[in-house]
Amino acid sequence: MKKLLKHISPLAPDDSGACSVLYELGGIVVICDAGGCAGNVCGFDEPRWFTKKSALFSAGLRDMDAILGRDDRLVEKLAKAAEQIDARFTAVVGTPVPAVIATDYRALKKMSEKKTGKPCITVETTGTNLYDKGEEAAYLALFKEFSKEKKETVAGKVGIIGATPLNTGLKTADIIKDKYENAVCFGMDSGLDEIINASECEKIIVISNSGIKSAKYLKEKFGIGYEFDFPCIPEETLNKAKELKNKKVLIIHQQTATNALRDKINGCEVDCATWFELNKDIAKENDLSIKNEEDFADIADNYDVIIGDISFKKIIPKYKGEFIDFPHFAVSGRGMG
Amino acid sequence: MSEAFYITAKELAARGDIPEELVSSKHLIYSSPATLDFNSPGAKGFGVKRAGLAIPGSVMLLVAPGCCGRNTALLNELGYSERFFYLLLDDTDIVTGRHLTKIPKAVKELCEELDCTPTAVMICITCVDALLGTDMERVCRKCEETAGVPTVPAYMYALTREKRLPPMAAVRKSVYSLLKKQKRISNECNILGHFAPLFDECELYDILKSAGIKKVHELSRCTTFGEYEELSRANFNLVINPEARYAAQDMEKNLGIPFIELNRFYRLDKIRNQYRLFGQAIGAEIDDTKFYDEAKKTVEGFGNKYGSLTFAVGECVNADSFELSLALVEYGHKVSEIYGTVGERNFVFIKKLAEVSPETRIFSNLSPTMLNYEKKTEIDAVIGVDALYYHNDIKGVEFNDEKQPFGYLAVKLLFERLDKALEGER
Repeated sequence: MKKLLKHISPLAPDDSGACSVLYELGGIVVICDAGGCAGNVCGFDEPRWFTKKSALFSAGLRDMDAILGRDDRLVEKLAKAAEQIDARFTAVVGTPVPAVIATDYRALKKMSEKKTGKPCITVETTGTNLYDKGEEAAYLALFKEFSKEKKETVAGKVGIIGATPLNTGLKTADIIKDKYENAVCFGMDSGLDEIINASECEKIIVISNSGIKSAKYLKEKFGIGYEFDFPCIPEETLNKAKELKNKKVLIIHQQTATNALRDKINGCEVDCATWFELNKDIAKENDLSIKNEEDFADIADNYDVIIGDISFKKIIPKYKGEFIDFPHFAVSGRGMG
Repeated sequence: MSEAFYITAKELAARGDIPEELVSSKHLIYSSPATLDFNSPGAKGFGVKRAGLAIPGSVMLLVAPGCCGRNTALLNELGYSERFFYLLLDDTDIVTGRHLTKIPKAVKELCEELDCTPTAVMICITCVDALLGTDMERVCRKCEETAGVPTVPAYMYALTREKRLPPMAAVRKSVYSLLKKQKRISNECNILGHFAPLFDECELYDILKSAGIKKVHELSRCTTFGEYEELSRANFNLVINPEARYAAQDMEKNLGIPFIELNRFYRLDKIRNQYRLFGQAIGAEIDDTKFYDEAKKTVEGFGNKYGSLTFAVGECVNADSFELSLALVEYGHKVSEIYGTVGERNFVFIKKLAEVSPETRIFSNLSPTMLNYEKKTEIDAVIGVDALYYHNDIKGVEFNDEKQPFGYLAVKLLFERLDKALEGER
């Protein structure tokens, strides 16, 4: 059965992706749920929860709130929190509950802005999609809301989109900044001002597909060009991959990561695959989209070597080839420290 | 920016009602790192998902959007990886409910592929099905017909957390629901309440033995389905956690097993009185002198060694934080801060605290203002995972084991551990 997971746990969902983008920006972020979704985000998908404080809350919805569509109560709670906590904006992140009751996010945004006097962004996630979709929507909502004016370009300044723990396994931007000297990682070790001043950047580096739409928006609005990279491949993975010769290799991760690693491997036939969005513009002919465990089991034996998160190995217990671990936080919750 | 909200015991008792800041439905909820295991049981503790697998040999199919099962990966480290499976819902499913027809097929596929047939399949459903009004009992019957394996619903309805049958009470009902009526054995009883057993050294076992009970059953000690089935032959159920009351009522109705409730207290006189009443209820004379004396000696020894200490008490602890605070005050200590959830059930302790410790500050872990918490009172020692989080520079104990302390042993263990923790400082 296509939607049955028999070997792995569910991958990071879209609401986790949205929260990951918004986490460090100094807003009040409300996960529009009963408590369980916020628990999954804070307790699993957000490794910064124990090291960097963030005003990330659950709406604490109850059945009658949902059945009666009591958005006004949510706005009241949000306004109360805005009085108690310093925040420059508010954000509402969707979950399955508002998806089932068809919450009107535009109305929620207007009501919240009126009540709190602060800008509000809404991210219409449903908990049924994967994290990259949520990141994409959150980045785009942020840039559209806050990056409105063209600022004077700062020579050499690079803006990084996609640097979230879910993509990189990182809790700080240090490794990325080692490669890009005058870089700002939007949403990681940087706040809302960097989003507001995004048009100062000379160049945008997209390190996850979730940043493509925002990069296109910034290009269209301010004429800033963008490139792809993934400067945080774990050293152990990279070293093992570089040693491969004359093999048929499959790399599994999010697409900018797979592409970056493919570029480092010589003398092998390499295909890339992803459980997340496959963007045809940056894909090669044989690159694949994996939709479920059956898909993966079907293709695995075509390759001598698979490079991917080790948790995928459980799906193919009889696989005879070599499996090289390439941790992906959005898959297994394993990071790079 | 507001300071973390608190109210003193005296102010709270005088109000007669609970201020909005202490009522979780009246504000946004802060899933603080201090209370993560409480709000989102994952690697530690028991939430619906882990609790639902209490039946030996059972497996769970979580039927939900991916977001609901994400943190289940943490349970893999506890050896549950071969027992959790997921039927993921998409946008159309959650609006139309079309997934319901797929569940029996999914259960059948699972049962056919597993190395050995599970004793039961727990179908765990979430807020989506709460809103859709899914009749999961019916779906489970269909699963049983299709797969030939007992199938039981487990409701992970966070939306109904404050209702009459909240998720953790409902799952307790679910895990006992496969028991079938059989002849009761007069000298056997069950202990209902937690998903881990009492500490082996707990005096309750000795007390039951002295009252003529030959066998004490606990679900968490069952290693086979056969042992699980023996639970229905108990003469009575001892309920040591109010969340198991509904399960006990169900067992009384369906299996004819009556129940008696016992509370976990940290005040020695209350423990003694409770055992006396329990003895009267089962027609046995209970001599708890030895256990009472041991616990009393430990409490007094601690007091003599350290004098009057000032504590902060959290709610991520094997105790009612207010009752425990009251006990500490009665033993000659002070409690400057409590991080807890105030409800009707523990308001009685707050009233008493107001008399003996009126300035004790009561905070709600779930309040967004706890983001701004700073220590402003004098604290010598802390109790509870959350209290330790707020005061990581002060000695203390988590006292939040999965194995459950109860009765005199709980008191003794607490003070022994506090002694050990504080000894490190001396």
